[in-house]
Amino acid sequence: MIIKLSVYQIVILIISLYFIFGATAKYIKKEEGQTFIKFFFAIAVWSGIIIFSIFPNLTRTISLKLGFGENLNTMIFIGFIIVFMIIFRLINIMERIERNISEIVRKEALSKLENKKDEMS
Amino acid sequence: MEINNKIYIILPVFNEESVVCDVISGIKAEGYENIIVVDDGSTDNTHRSVMNIKGVVALRHFLNRGKGAAIKTGIEAAKFLNAEIVVTMDGDGQHNANDIKKMIEKINEGYDVVLGNRFHEGNKIPLVRVVYNKIGNVFTLLFCGLWVKDSQSGLRAYSKKAIELIDTKTDRYEYDSEVIREIKKNGLKFIEVPITVEYTMYSRNKKEKQNLKNGIKTLLKMLTF
Repeated sequence: MIIKLSVYQIVILIISLYFIFGATAKYIKKEEGQTFIKFFFAIAVWSGIIIFSIFPNLTRTISLKLGFGENLNTMIFIGFIIVFMIIFRLINIMERIERNISEIVRKEALSKLENKKDEMS
Repeated sequence: MEINNKIYIILPVFNEESVVCDVISGIKAEGYENIIVVDDGSTDNTHRSVMNIKGVVALRHFLNRGKGAAIKTGIEAAKFLNAEIVVTMDGDGQHNANDIKKMIEKINEGYDVVLGNRFHEGNKIPLVRVVYNKIGNVFTLLFCGLWVKDSQSGLRAYSKKAIELIDTKTDRYEYDSEVIREIKKNGLKFIEVPITVEYTMYSRNKKEKQNLKNGIKTLLKMLTF
């Protein structure tokens, strides 16, 4: 079965593949801040975008089965993407704050060590 | 046996006022004089009770950051004090200081990391902990790529090379599994040795210990490695 793709579908496909390859490369290289859960969600979201851009009727089928109208269906889809992006961002911020708090607490604890070392020697 | 004075024992403690001095005495009785106690923001007198003991470096987190964070602080302190071998133990008295000797022997044989294994016939371990550990082992294999028999053991020994290479980011119980990932990542030579543990009523009743809720949290944190 050959699928005829319009220009916008091809553009979305290229952009999505770019982000999927980017996320995979970052995860494989174990770049700072890259985690399995972020990688998983990135793949899930961008794969979803590819699927729905190639098979747009799928959204109609799903929305009809769920009992939504077509316009609402699109809104929900866009809403999900925005929510996922916000969640990613919040997870990143929370992780960074947690790490920073631990580092501050650690530095404060270790700052007293130099005096202890003098006492022990 | 003459004990290397560059061996440091690290005890992460949180509200262990009633047992920490006995744990330290047990370690000293085995001949280890360098002990780093990291009080992880206790609300009782844990820190005060250890700060004047000879040979003990008493450090304190002003906020509770978790067992992993406390061990990391201890390891940083040991590095600062030029430690050659570091041993980490739980501060609640469940580990036996007798086991330190055989762990250090393995480091001297050329292993980078020695992991204590609680799960053998000699130990009486509550069934629930056996189940938690098996689940932990499976997820450690999935996320860290290494199979070990006791992924959550707190009694571990590290060579100088290991403490230089192991770089952990997590703060709480997921730290134990993250160390396994670092062993794999850095190609460190490791071995598991059987250790004795005693689950007293005290250690069983500690609410900070691994339970189902903490286990799920640990599992979710492992996803973020």
